[in-house]
Amino acid sequence: MNDLAAATAAPLTGANAPAKLKVRDVHFYYNGYHALKGINMDIPEKQVTAIIGPSGCGKSTLLRIFNRIYAIYPKLEAKGSIELDGENILDPSYSMNRLRTKVGMVFQKPVPFPMTIFENVAYGIRHHERLSRADMEIRVEQALRSAALWDEAKDKLKQSALGLSGGQQQRLCIARGIALRPEVLLLDEPTSALDPIATGRIEQLVEELKHEYTIVIVTHNMQQAARVSDRTAFMYMGDLIEFDNTEKIFTKPGKKQTEDYITGRFG
Amino acid sequence: MSAVYARRSVVNIVALTLSGLATLIGLIFLVWILWVTAQNGLGAIKLSLFTKITAYADQGGLSNAIVGSLIMDLMALLICAPIGVLAGTYLAEYASSTRLGATIRFLNDILLSAPSIVLGLFVYVIVVIPTTELTDGRISFSGFAGSVALALIGLPVIVRTTDEMLQLVPGTLREAALSLGIPQWKLTMQVLMRAAFSGILTGVLLALARLAGETAPLLFTAFGNNFMTAHPLDKMASMPVTIYQYTNDPNPTLHAIAWAGALLITLFVLALSLLTRIMFSRKKVSYE
Amino acid sequence: MSATSAEPIPRDTEHRSRTDARHDLFFRFLLRFCAMLVLAALLGAALSTLWGGREVLFKDGFRFLFSSDWNPVENQFGALAPIVGTLVTSLIALLLAVPVSFGIALFLTEIAPRWMRGPVSAAIELLAAIPSIIYGMWGLFVFVPFMASIEPTLSDTLGNIPVIGALFQGPPLGLGLLTAGIVLAVMILPFISSVMREVFQTVPARLKESSYALGSTTWEVVWDIVLPYTRSAVIGGIFLGLGRALGETMAVTFVLGNSYNLTASLLMPGTSISSSIANEFNEAVGMHRSALIALGFLLFVVTFIVLLIARFMLRQLQRKEGR
Repeated sequence: MNDLAAATAAPLTGANAPAKLKVRDVHFYYNGYHALKGINMDIPEKQVTAIIGPSGCGKSTLLRIFNRIYAIYPKLEAKGSIELDGENILDPSYSMNRLRTKVGMVFQKPVPFPMTIFENVAYGIRHHERLSRADMEIRVEQALRSAALWDEAKDKLKQSALGLSGGQQQRLCIARGIALRPEVLLLDEPTSALDPIATGRIEQLVEELKHEYTIVIVTHNMQQAARVSDRTAFMYMGDLIEFDNTEKIFTKPGKKQTEDYITGRFG
Repeated sequence: MSAVYARRSVVNIVALTLSGLATLIGLIFLVWILWVTAQNGLGAIKLSLFTKITAYADQGGLSNAIVGSLIMDLMALLICAPIGVLAGTYLAEYASSTRLGATIRFLNDILLSAPSIVLGLFVYVIVVIPTTELTDGRISFSGFAGSVALALIGLPVIVRTTDEMLQLVPGTLREAALSLGIPQWKLTMQVLMRAAFSGILTGVLLALARLAGETAPLLFTAFGNNFMTAHPLDKMASMPVTIYQYTNDPNPTLHAIAWAGALLITLFVLALSLLTRIMFSRKKVSYE
Repeated sequence: MSATSAEPIPRDTEHRSRTDARHDLFFRFLLRFCAMLVLAALLGAALSTLWGGREVLFKDGFRFLFSSDWNPVENQFGALAPIVGTLVTSLIALLLAVPVSFGIALFLTEIAPRWMRGPVSAAIELLAAIPSIIYGMWGLFVFVPFMASIEPTLSDTLGNIPVIGALFQGPPLGLGLLTAGIVLAVMILPFISSVMREVFQTVPARLKESSYALGSTTWEVVWDIVLPYTRSAVIGGIFLGLGRALGETMAVTFVLGNSYNLTASLLMPGTSISSSIANEFNEAVGMHRSALIALGFLLFVVTFIVLLIARFMLRQLQRKEGR
């Protein structure tokens, strides 16, 4: 519980921070199934927002709307608006490239590309920017350092990324995401496939990254949400039940459903 | 009661014995055919097979047929591998659940077992006849026409394996690349193809194993040639067609050469099948 | 940009998006074009052989199908003998290959110890990898003499049975429809047995277990549970084998004997569509060549239909599995 105390002792209590993402009346449908039923929330800038809730509550679905990754599948439909710095990203005229360089994402299972460690990080950059070899090396190093992977990876940059451990692979994926210098970082249960030690390192990393990025993390692990986040949203059956400072959610939740979930009465 | 049990158990034992026997029959034929090929072929393998051309007939060799086969097999792969890989990619990445995709997949499976002699006739009609007429007969049967016919044999194999192998690549890899703003074509060519590389390569080798042994599609496309040529617009000799001609000949010395050729081609094809089998069993996709 | 600062240059994401979209569109078009070539290959094979055989198909029509008078010298082309030859040899092949394939599939899924299954099924499938020209050579040089040695016995025993006895009359040439049918049976064995083996494995264990729990024998489980459950796919596999047998050329050309005489006996030489084409095409001119291409068209249409049925039947099991 020391972590929680440390997090809440920080000046970032949340409510006053400016909103990076404004979610307004977002509905989501797949194959006609109404998966999100009018979500409204403000994601504060340069803080960690955790979304928790039982499986199937729509938390991952919501996260996957923030960078429109859902749009690669047919028959999925999002309605409403999500403003990123005042512009609606759900508007079809908002270009996908722009959105995806501004909003990075890390997935449940580590998915390094079948390339070298260096190429994994450089690949995304190369698509968006023309850099000299030297500049690219600097960018890759920066990204790997930010993801706390540099010390372990610097001697094997030319080796396949598939040879890294699961935890290292996941940090590589984070490095790959932040190499594009996004403003928002979406983490979709980033530690669910990792062991406790690797999980600890990722959580520590999230703590460091929030000074530069707005982070939204979906997790089914309540302790994790309590440890890493400033704000916590609790979702249930497609509704946003409660969204408040993490400390408040975990100590005196305002809603009965939240309390039942936190105390493990269901879920 | 016990009579019923006895009858049932007798039926069971008889049926199971027969099924073991059936397996034995299959294996006997396999060993029989391979044994005969090895026995007749090994005795006939000589250095002259690789140095002399078929024009010397019974004192000759197969060098022009070997070269012709290598050229045509390679050209066929050059034609069907890119087309097949791209078509398979279309099925897996763009049409995995569309009606058009289902139709193409379905018809591709039919092409997979379509009679190869008809594919030979097809190429005769669309390649050999037009080139003959356009050039007043200077270019008629050609190594190129043979390659096109062989490519039609290999195409469905590659389409199918590429399709299957790409579908085994986890969807999260696609999401990861797309979430970096990588466009679909780059994702497909640079990430997915790499992830499924060994599987796709297996498909290409499988196609090679299939088309290398084909005779019927070459009869009226590449025809045959008793002299050495590497020009794709010449009539071209090939191993299977030469074996076919020598087997039809009454001269027993030619039969021996045919057996030697048969052994070479069988070894080549079986080695390829074993290789692909090993590649398949080791890992379906190089990913995970 | 200097090497020391790796500051982001302003990205022209809008331009990037437009070029990406254009490339994606082109890529998609290219891929779709390649996929369409598969359709074009099938359609082309049908249309080109129809075109090449038009003189005979449209002039002679039904007479082409039902006349057995094949005389290139007098430009008479009746395809009955090759048609019958193709059907009879394929039928013999099925009659022999289906039970044997079933036995192999049964052995490999239910009886053989685990360590044996992999190698034995690999060996059986190796039969499919052997080039058909090798089957032809083995057939001509080894199997034909073997058949010639047992045919007198066949004539003396089976030949005396009323009705079907007529099938086994004639001189012991070794060549002929029966020999070709047997060679074909060996060739299609691996195709049918591997389909059967695969679909037998899809039967849910609980179905089999509940039958075993009632005291059924292995044979009863296979006959009463496995076979009915997989029936459509098994039929699909059989049709797949039939499609192969109908179109096979090299394995049968050497051992059929190339004769256009229709006889009742399976021991007599005959011909088939594919072997007629292979034997005569390069010497044929004019109408003769057209007639051979028309035969090719016929063969293509028949195998297409057979394979179509095969694939439909195979797909039904996949539906049942919810794939």
